[in-house]
Amino acid sequence: MGSRCGKRLNYAPAVYATLDRLETKGYVKSYRGEPTPERGGRSKRFFRVTAKGVAAVNRTRRALQSMAEGLGLIEGYS
Amino acid sequence: MTSQPFSDQPPRLAVWLVNLFTIPDDAEAIVGDLLEEFSHLASTSGVVFARRWYWRQALKTIVHLIYSAYRAAPWATSAGVAAGFLTRRLLWKLVEPTIFTVLDRYQIPEHHFSLYVFFASTGIDIGYLLVFLFVGCIAAFVAKEREMAAATTLSVIFTAMTGVAAVSWVATGHYWILWRLTWNFADSFAILIGGAIVRTHRSATRLSGSRLNT
Repeated sequence: MGSRCGKRLNYAPAVYATLDRLETKGYVKSYRGEPTPERGGRSKRFFRVTAKGVAAVNRTRRALQSMAEGLGLIEGYS
Repeated sequence: MTSQPFSDQPPRLAVWLVNLFTIPDDAEAIVGDLLEEFSHLASTSGVVFARRWYWRQALKTIVHLIYSAYRAAPWATSAGVAAGFLTRRLLWKLVEPTIFTVLDRYQIPEHHFSLYVFFASTGIDIGYLLVFLFVGCIAAFVAKEREMAAATTLSVIFTAMTGVAAVSWVATGHYWILWRLTWNFADSFAILIGGAIVRTHRSATRLSGSRLNT
């Protein structure tokens, strides 16, 4: 996420609170990885986007794009 | 797994505090993430920087966890705060009568006057301190997995009330009473200790339960 956003994301609980809400809505599914020494023997929580989540992302992206086009915020659509 | 030297590890107090405020299901992931990032920072930017970073993250995390406790479980957390208030209200009036009843019952004033003076002054303050410790325990017990969020809220409320009282004492010229602030702030701190006791006990029970299952 950090490399995709182009900034350092290291604020763990805020990310988990959001991901927990997405999991409750069925947009993502979480699972635990194997414990590692770097984590003091603690396991890591991984998240996978569900089909419902992908559909929601596409819906939101289309809605945002449509709004941006309508407001003339995207070059070539003004 | 190799053991790291003490200085290469994150501050133990900060780790303990984060564990205390995190709900058990999230503790492993959150504490593990912080530790992983700490190890990375310690190797790239030095241990001193990494430890400072860990403290900052721990404090931010605690504030966020208190906020998210109200968001995720508003009723349980608020019920813990309300139960703490009620307990304090019920027990507050009983401290002095109980102490004096015990002192009279064992005829302390007649036989051990210095002991009587101690219990009639400092003993009462210690009695209130124990009441607040119990208040913290009750708030944490009722708040279920959000023990420290409820205990911290109560503690902050009583600290604020002490602050307001101190301002009014100064405004009305009652400077002599300001020495009581030490006890009043200790009472608020006792609530946090009560919450931490319940949380630690629950974590230990949970851990021993999971060990038995495996």
